[in-house]
Amino acid sequence: MSASPIDRVAKATPPKLARKIRGLSDRTIAWIFVAPSIFLLLAVNIFPLIWTINLSFTNFKANRPGREIKYIGLRNYERILGDSDIWLTMQATAHFLFWTIALQVLIGFTLAWLINRKFKGNDLWTTIIVLPMMLSPAVVGNFWTFLYQPQIGLFNYVVSFFSGVDPSSFSMLGEVSLAPWAIVIVDTWMWTPFVMLICLAGLRSIPDYIYEAAAIDRASKWRQFWTITLPMVLPFLMLAVLFRGIENFKMFDLVVQLTGGGPGSTTELTSINLKREAFEKWRTGYASAYAIILFVTVFGLASIYVKALNKVKER
Amino acid sequence: MAEVTLTNVSKSFGDTRALDNITMTVPDGAFVVLLGPTGAGKTTMLRLISGLEHPDAGDILIDGQSVVRDTPAQRDVAMVFQQYSLYPHLTVRENLAFPLRSPVLRTPKDEIRRKIDEVAEVLSISHKLDNKATELSGGEMQRVSIGRALVRDPRIFLMDEPLSSLDAKLRADLRVELKRIQASLGATILYVTHDQIEAMTMATHVGVLDSGTLIQFGPPREIYERPVSQYAAQRLGLPRINLLPANLFPGAPPGAVTIGLRPEQLIQGEGQESTVVRVEHLGDQSRLHLKLKDHAITTLTDVHTLLKPGDSVAIAPSSPLYFDAGGTRIE
Repeated sequence: MSASPIDRVAKATPPKLARKIRGLSDRTIAWIFVAPSIFLLLAVNIFPLIWTINLSFTNFKANRPGREIKYIGLRNYERILGDSDIWLTMQATAHFLFWTIALQVLIGFTLAWLINRKFKGNDLWTTIIVLPMMLSPAVVGNFWTFLYQPQIGLFNYVVSFFSGVDPSSFSMLGEVSLAPWAIVIVDTWMWTPFVMLICLAGLRSIPDYIYEAAAIDRASKWRQFWTITLPMVLPFLMLAVLFRGIENFKMFDLVVQLTGGGPGSTTELTSINLKREAFEKWRTGYASAYAIILFVTVFGLASIYVKALNKVKER
Repeated sequence: MAEVTLTNVSKSFGDTRALDNITMTVPDGAFVVLLGPTGAGKTTMLRLISGLEHPDAGDILIDGQSVVRDTPAQRDVAMVFQQYSLYPHLTVRENLAFPLRSPVLRTPKDEIRRKIDEVAEVLSISHKLDNKATELSGGEMQRVSIGRALVRDPRIFLMDEPLSSLDAKLRADLRVELKRIQASLGATILYVTHDQIEAMTMATHVGVLDSGTLIQFGPPREIYERPVSQYAAQRLGLPRINLLPANLFPGAPPGAVTIGLRPEQLIQGEGQESTVVRVEHLGDQSRLHLKLKDHAITTLTDVHTLLKPGDSVAIAPSSPLYFDAGGTRIE
């Protein structure tokens, strides 16, 4: 008779240890199992958060460890909220968020809708479309700086080909009016496939027979789209917006690679700005307060959004 | 309301021949029941008439006009699907309103409301109108699906086993109700079912399908009394027709291989002795399972019968049906 795994484990346990374990209640054993995860969570998540909150009330500078740390109350918060430069980075972030999400949802949904019409080779097309998403943001940022090159860049060449403008007359990354759009274009190029995949999942979840019933009920294709396709894909679409919103709020790598926040600070998104405050100017207390403000903002927006999402799902 | 004509209609799915050269005319105001086992082509026929599928060959006419190039909307047909096909994100009321909200119709709001309430009443789903379609039981979904067809005033109703998932009482009620609606609207209905009671009680015409071909088309009584083949004879009648070797009883015409005996074609008390195997008291009738020379026979007997297993009963055929080796009935 072959022993069950439980028997084998029981036999392999040294008698001394076995005696000890036998005395433990189920609850204790459960705690022993969960403890490592809880410990890790506390160490890398909860403790830093609390520590950051603590630091946000001080004038601590991490590059001057010897200096006396003074508690200065809400002064950091007051300075951040009163700083017009920070409001500019917030605006840059809002611009980036709004346009990337709007374009990605629009293009992503359209692509998904086209791919979902069962034509020959649509699997191949899906794979091709999804490719940009699989690249490293650093690589994408790097080669788009070449594409945006005024003299040799393919982007400038294509624009000039269609519009007749001299390709070297404009620099996507060098001009204050163009740079915010340059990063929107690259992010859209890279992440539209993600939105498309989620929309495709939504479209594929609608069974054919619903469209058949609608055809019998004499709903036009147009009405079928507005009364069936869109409402049934909406939860998926909202999920895509949530993911993209969270991702782009903390956008760093791609934009640093492309513009480094410039020209001036036109593309200095909050995450880049924050990194500058914390690790270039070393204003640790100030940066902590900044981080807490962002955390509260994102947390608040996300929870409102998730509530709305649940409401849509229930409908 | 309208007349439907199919001429030489064929349809294949890959290598499967779903319908083979069907020619059939459904008169205006007829209640046609399509009978046949799974895969006989009943649903395909409904889908072809509705416009969800297109025939490979042949023509479909509604009121004398060819509709093969028309969309389902242009054909103006209502269909009850076997798998309900409700709009899951809408309430029952919105589901019922959906066909009425078609821009072609321009139905006024209070008219929509009135119609929905009326249909909901008939189908006893009034209390569920504000529920989401996904919160209903199978039977309720099926009733909503019937309701979605009834709120409209289409040229033809197509119903694919609409009563199959309802309980017995509701099924009996709705059978009567559907028949009443059909009579009062003068509606043309094509109706697919497995249930012979539905076929016998509701149909003005029955179409018997066998693997894609239309075996027989006519009033249910005609198909019951004068089936063209063994197959058609087996589609109607409960208990089912008994099919036995023709030489079991004297008097078979030349060429007859099989004799078909319905319960009323078996006279008890004369002829050959058979043994009672089992008696089933169903209340309004009693079923008698007999054995004659190793052949099982099912028939009906007196409600208050005192027969027990092991008793012997004499039986003789009375104007039976005879079939030849190919299963075709001999006149």
